[in-house]
Amino acid sequence: MSTLTADPPTTSHAATPPAAAQVQPTFAGVVRGEWIKLLSLRSTWWALASTAAVITLVALAAAASLNAMADDPALAPGIEQMHGAEVISSGFHFGMLTIAVLGALLITGEYATGLIRSTFAAVPTRIPVLAAKALTLVVLTAAVTLVSVTLSYFLTMPRLSQYDLVPALDDPGTWRVFGGTLYSLISAALFSLGVGTLLRSTAASLTAALTVLLLLPGILSFIRLDWVETIVSYLPLPASSALLTTGAVETQGAYLSAQASLIVMAAYAVVPIAAAAVTLHRRDA
Amino acid sequence: MIEARELTKRYGDTTAVHSLSFTIAPGTVTGFLGPNGAGKSTTMRMIMGLDRPTSGTVTVNGKPYRQHRAPLREVGALLEASAVHPGRSARSHLRSMAATHNIKASRVSEVIEMTGLAGVATKRVGGFSLGMGQRLGIAAALLGDPRTLILDEPVNGLDPEGVQWVRQLVRALAAEGRTVFLSSHLMSEMSQTADHLLVIGRGRIIAAGPVQQVIDSVAGGAVRVRSPRAGELAAALAADGATVTSPEAGMLEVSGTTAEHVGEVAFRNGLLHELSPRRASLEEAYMSLTQDAVEYRAHTTTTTSRTAKAENQ
Repeated sequence: MSTLTADPPTTSHAATPPAAAQVQPTFAGVVRGEWIKLLSLRSTWWALASTAAVITLVALAAAASLNAMADDPALAPGIEQMHGAEVISSGFHFGMLTIAVLGALLITGEYATGLIRSTFAAVPTRIPVLAAKALTLVVLTAAVTLVSVTLSYFLTMPRLSQYDLVPALDDPGTWRVFGGTLYSLISAALFSLGVGTLLRSTAASLTAALTVLLLLPGILSFIRLDWVETIVSYLPLPASSALLTTGAVETQGAYLSAQASLIVMAAYAVVPIAAAAVTLHRRDA
Repeated sequence: MIEARELTKRYGDTTAVHSLSFTIAPGTVTGFLGPNGAGKSTTMRMIMGLDRPTSGTVTVNGKPYRQHRAPLREVGALLEASAVHPGRSARSHLRSMAATHNIKASRVSEVIEMTGLAGVATKRVGGFSLGMGQRLGIAAALLGDPRTLILDEPVNGLDPEGVQWVRQLVRALAAEGRTVFLSSHLMSEMSQTADHLLVIGRGRIIAAGPVQQVIDSVAGGAVRVRSPRAGELAAALAADGATVTSPEAGMLEVSGTTAEHVGEVAFRNGLLHELSPRRASLEEAYMSLTQDAVEYRAHTTTTTSRTAKAENQ
């Protein structure tokens, strides 16, 4: 291993010792550190690429299935009621899956590898680390959502135009659906980061986050009790579904109102992170 | 300067660290010794503000670690195992740490050069050997040019050249007036590197002080005697109150008396082929200090013969 040949003993006083005045942690520095960490891992790029890929592919599949709907006399009238933006955003729950994995790994990966000790040694107050992680996660989620929706918009355009469903960009309904997609994905990402910080283990965090985000509504849909159905309507997937409509058609069943959904999704983002911030300060790393 | 006052850490019913009080002085290398499970790593984590003491306090350069404005400038630490994500390159890891303190990129390159990682800095850490991981950990510890260094098993996995490099590095750092606190299980290495020792067992301090003083406090040294009539000689020495053991036929280890006295007794009682006084090694002193404090002991009978072999080297 000739590359590892040690230099003759040098002291750590090298040519340019860092000037004491400038060398201290700032929140901007902590954010930059998190940003470097996030972008220097392949898993980040995998998660982002899969998020964009699944959202776009599901949108394409939904657009492609319009033909089959049109051929079925029972379903054909439904096309009239549809909004093109809903077709484009129909893959958002798959996006939730990959973005939630990214959110959880952001912190559980540090616990699993022991990196968390380096991180907290550099920023012993710890809370800025969580805040910086949340911030970088929101930025990346927003960016990947933007890319996915733009891609889906253009790729589904040929098919949607056949049914006059290309969403108009001056239609507030379009922006409501796209905005709802962004809002729900950011909420899912932060929820997962919060759960990951609380539970610390990757397996436990992913199980818990994905169960609440995606699996529970399906599992509980077999139980036909009023109070269970009420709980289900407050789960992230049904709550965000309520956000992803143009509002032109009255949503049926136990769905929440759009305003209630906004608040519920915000709570999913904020509550676990707030709880994590409290415990983070107290627990041993 | 590291100061611990009645530092205690309990996990449920287990007391990992029991009321430790010590001061690690600047300008010296202080070795931290103890068997596995003695509480060394827990103590180091408490110094770094990673674990919260159940009671007691520990300060670095006058303040609890968490209260320092620029922690990486105060303390650089290499803690047990690699605290690095295997999917990241060495340079990215160091850059991300440096970014938090607004440390310049040139300093990152410097510590990479200094630790001999230049050739592998852009490779993913997951492919690193144990020794390269240790070098990266040391690079991270040096990043902020800290006044105090805490190194848990820094030579673990290093090749002999690397071991020597660490020894010279920590000596140089201490010579600059910095505080160096390091643990190791390599006693011969520790005796060459450290000025002071802090020995703990089962979470309590067993011995502390300058290296030679700690050794002398335990083992007063012994005299090795080789004689064709070892049996008679042993009996005569034992009658004088010396402690005599025989590690192999024809050879005696005599303690509790002087080489001169052994020589005189041998002269009266018969032949003497070899008489060599020897000072106890740190390893022997350590073994006898921690005898009752070993948490995890392998049940074999080879300990004594291994010790004997080590002496002959």
